[in-house]
Amino acid sequence: MLSTLPLLRALLRGRWTGLVGSLVALCLGTVILSATALLLTSAGPRVPERYAATPLLVRSPGTAPAGEGLFAENRPWSPETVDSLVGALTSVPGVTAAVPDRAFYAQVVVGGRPAGAHEARGWSTAALAPYRLVAGRPPVRAGEVVLGRTLGLAPGSPVMLLTARGPAPYRVTGLTDGPGPYVSDGEAARLGGGVRVIGVLVEPRADLAGVRAAVGRAVRGAGPGAGAGQVLAGPDRAAAEPAADARTRWIGMQVLTAMALLGGFVSVFLVASTFAFRVNQRRREFGLLRAAGATPRQVRLIVYGEALAVGAVAATAGALLGVAVAPAVGGVLVTAGFEPKSFGVRFTPLPVAAAVAAGIAAGLLGALAASGRAARVRPLEALRDHAAGGTPMTRVRWIAGVVSVAGGLALAVASGSAREDSLVNDVLLAAMALIAGLTLLAPVVLPPLVRAFAWSFSRPAVGMLAGRSAMTAVRRTAATAAPVLLAVGFTVLVTGMVRTTAAAYTVEGAAGGGAAAVLVPDGAPGLSDAALAAAAGSAPLPTTVYDSVHGGRPLAALGDGHLAGDEMTVAEWAARDHGWRKGDVVPLAFEDGRTVRLRIRVVLRDAPAEVVIARDTVRAHDPSALTPEAYVSRPAGMVFPGAKTVSVADRAAGEQAEEDRLVWLFTLLLVGVSAGYAGLAIVNTQVMAASARVRDVAVLRLTGATPRQAIAATAAEAALVAGTGAVLGFAVAVPSLLGMRAGLAQMAGDAVPLVIPWPAVAAVVAACLIIATTSSTVFTLSPFLSMRCRKTRTRESKRSRNWPPTRADA
Amino acid sequence: MTQAGTTQAGTTQAGTAKATGQAVLLDAVRVVYGTGPGAVTALDGVTLGFGQGTFTAVMGPSGSGKSTLLHCAAGLDRPTSGTVLIGGTDLGPLNEKALTLLRRERVGFVFQEYNLIDALTAEENVALPLRLAGRRPDPAEVRDALAEVGLAHRAGHRPAELSGGERQRVAIARSLISRPAVLFADEPTGALDSVASRAVMELLRGLVDTRGQTVVMVTHDPAAAAYADRVVLLADGRPAGELGRSTAAEIASRMALLEERC
Repeated sequence: MLSTLPLLRALLRGRWTGLVGSLVALCLGTVILSATALLLTSAGPRVPERYAATPLLVRSPGTAPAGEGLFAENRPWSPETVDSLVGALTSVPGVTAAVPDRAFYAQVVVGGRPAGAHEARGWSTAALAPYRLVAGRPPVRAGEVVLGRTLGLAPGSPVMLLTARGPAPYRVTGLTDGPGPYVSDGEAARLGGGVRVIGVLVEPRADLAGVRAAVGRAVRGAGPGAGAGQVLAGPDRAAAEPAADARTRWIGMQVLTAMALLGGFVSVFLVASTFAFRVNQRRREFGLLRAAGATPRQVRLIVYGEALAVGAVAATAGALLGVAVAPAVGGVLVTAGFEPKSFGVRFTPLPVAAAVAAGIAAGLLGALAASGRAARVRPLEALRDHAAGGTPMTRVRWIAGVVSVAGGLALAVASGSAREDSLVNDVLLAAMALIAGLTLLAPVVLPPLVRAFAWSFSRPAVGMLAGRSAMTAVRRTAATAAPVLLAVGFTVLVTGMVRTTAAAYTVEGAAGGGAAAVLVPDGAPGLSDAALAAAAGSAPLPTTVYDSVHGGRPLAALGDGHLAGDEMTVAEWAARDHGWRKGDVVPLAFEDGRTVRLRIRVVLRDAPAEVVIARDTVRAHDPSALTPEAYVSRPAGMVFPGAKTVSVADRAAGEQAEEDRLVWLFTLLLVGVSAGYAGLAIVNTQVMAASARVRDVAVLRLTGATPRQAIAATAAEAALVAGTGAVLGFAVAVPSLLGMRAGLAQMAGDAVPLVIPWPAVAAVVAACLIIATTSSTVFTLSPFLSMRCRKTRTRESKRSRNWPPTRADA
Repeated sequence: MTQAGTTQAGTTQAGTAKATGQAVLLDAVRVVYGTGPGAVTALDGVTLGFGQGTFTAVMGPSGSGKSTLLHCAAGLDRPTSGTVLIGGTDLGPLNEKALTLLRRERVGFVFQEYNLIDALTAEENVALPLRLAGRRPDPAEVRDALAEVGLAHRAGHRPAELSGGERQRVAIARSLISRPAVLFADEPTGALDSVASRAVMELLRGLVDTRGQTVVMVTHDPAAAAYADRVVLLADGRPAGELGRSTAAEIASRMALLEERC
């Protein structure tokens, strides 16, 4: 309705202070949204740096996509196919070299710990980047290595390389500006895995399109197995990105999606609570508008108009800020390991525009409930002056609250059986549903809780005042407790769920063997055979095999020390998919490209992987296979190159696990965002509550309270309300954590400890209490400190007729 | 506001006024708050009319139902049973929106206090009903309305910068801008000192005399009631007698009698 526009402008004028909270919340939310949207759209595959100078790449044929969150490499070529391809490619006119890219796991051990990159390659592949030799000479014999110069080792010095079998002695022959390590091509061919990419270098002045066509013909004519190879040029070379990078990007996507989701949710939550509070404080004004002839629809439009005005300003500013901070956030994501090193921000207008729209939508969504409540204000309320403001619970609110809490609990319990990758996001959803539900029910749940707490310190007048005040102004109490509930509930729930799940996996693993300790990688991506043997442990060795018959489909395989020779165990579901039966002899291709024929000894319903084969067979064909961790009989505290033993309890607490680091970092990031928001919300609600509380403090002072008592009463009320919010936060989190633990214990077949990271939780609770008491004291008392009470004059007049009050709580 | 405007407003209301004989009519109005044994009867079958161009004061002890009567008559509150007619229109069948529109066009209000929206200037407060009705307020019209209550020089001030009496006069200017058939005032002088009270009451009296404005006022102040043509006394939710135009002393003694009886 156009006619409300000038009115809206007039109503907003001079009222922006009350909207600052919503403004900042929406602005921050849009910063997060626009930055994450930009980062999400930037997170495409990049040409790997080590192929930067290679104009043409020939890549082994792809297989069917493995499914969301599963990243498998293409099946490698067999050594014979590689030889025939290299031969065919080298003979193409204009081609100077065809370099097969062969890698194996190797890390330089510096000062007893692995350092630097994880993959060793033949020296000839350095030309594909190109990386240059900066000192010494290239490796030509076995046992010689060229290292990245950043490691600080000099040519000629001996060095230990940690490989999948164990540490091996090498001699440094030279240094390079690339990551390294590089071994001789002969050694790379002997130790390295299968070839998936052949880099084709061409003469400087060659006609690239012509060479490309010739290379394509050469590949097609190179014989069986080679013909399906893809020729990649220009930006298409990004398809040669390693699967590990694709997986990292996928994890980054999860992080960014969760951040955006959380930013959006918290913005709506904050705007909703701010507007609810604001509408409640302005009931008289809305009543007056109604009495002056405003229809309920007009009042609703006024509230929406405010939300729109705030949203438009905040979202625009936030989106621009988001653009400004996106590169820095991208850098942090790369450092934290959520994005591959090749990541960079691409600026496009669409995600930014979408963020602005989403920010405005969040504002309107937040104002939805408040506008309805404003429209229900009756004209007669212009005559009343009450802080409590009728019953806050409507039927819709009851239903929505109960449904949210029930849904959140169900989600929390269900997340016990969620896959590791999607766990954090499942937990996030559960937490948001629970928090939203309990916030809706806060006016019912809070008063009894506040009464219980207030009773304990109701002896001094200050305590009694604080308790009474918190109980009477239910809405104010609910609004100020809500952000604390959000912060504490979220922290306990999310960190508790992540840690308890990690503990459950450990318990599940340790349940069988009566292990003394867990051998975990230390600075390495996995455990070498030597470390495993030194710790007297045995653990299956994971690898990938490819079904030679079915177009090279990848299968998750485990190498088991108890199996021997050419026998294998197959999971029932895999056997069904591939049409295998017990006794069949199946040809499987391994990571080195060689095919081995294995006989199916048994088909198991609950096999630990799709296929289980002899450990020795895996080691012989996959030079990069590493054991993730192992339960060992040696005690905790032993150290090997790239590995150490820790107690089962410590491992359950999750502090040591290298692979949990990303999940934990991600969790802390989310907790940080929500806690920051909650801090903002606490200050915001305290500012708004202060205007209502100023009156009470004035009465209190005139009744004979000293300034110290007035401050104490204000701070005590804030602490009481914040404390109640914290308790409610625990009330949200603990039952769902217990439910999840029960589910996990059933899966693990043993009791699972409930792990709550107390330092993080205590920090959040303390921060909430300090922010609440400080801000309420400062904002309530600042009008008195400045000795000006003009603002309160009109509101005082009614009360002052009954002056002086006969009781302290008059 | 011009004299012609008033006449015009008067003639448009003439037909309905003739049909009922009254600007506002309450017929057997009962208001009960709550249910069961705790129910409180605020109005107990009140039948009362307020003639066009008259100034009526409704008085009574605390809890006599005088404010409830005013709220029902003004369409701010719905009676439990009985009929309320404003300018011949029955409020009973109207929904919230229709009722709002009727109030916007036919009814003006002045409350004891909190009449003005703090964020708006005096001028904007006065123009509010026009804006809500979707009309662009004519600045001259608004200034005239403020001039009529003697506040032309305070047009740009916010309520916080005005005295209590000035705020009430702005409220009166606002309630008159839509030329209502009837102006309801609920304790308009309740929060004012005697000098400001007198200014407000003289303003209301002047509106009745010069423009034929119908005014219904609830008050407990005999000095204010002395400005009215007719004083309706209320006790326990029922009419308890009437006075014609009387002095403050007469009204006070009558009130004292009434309160003694209660």
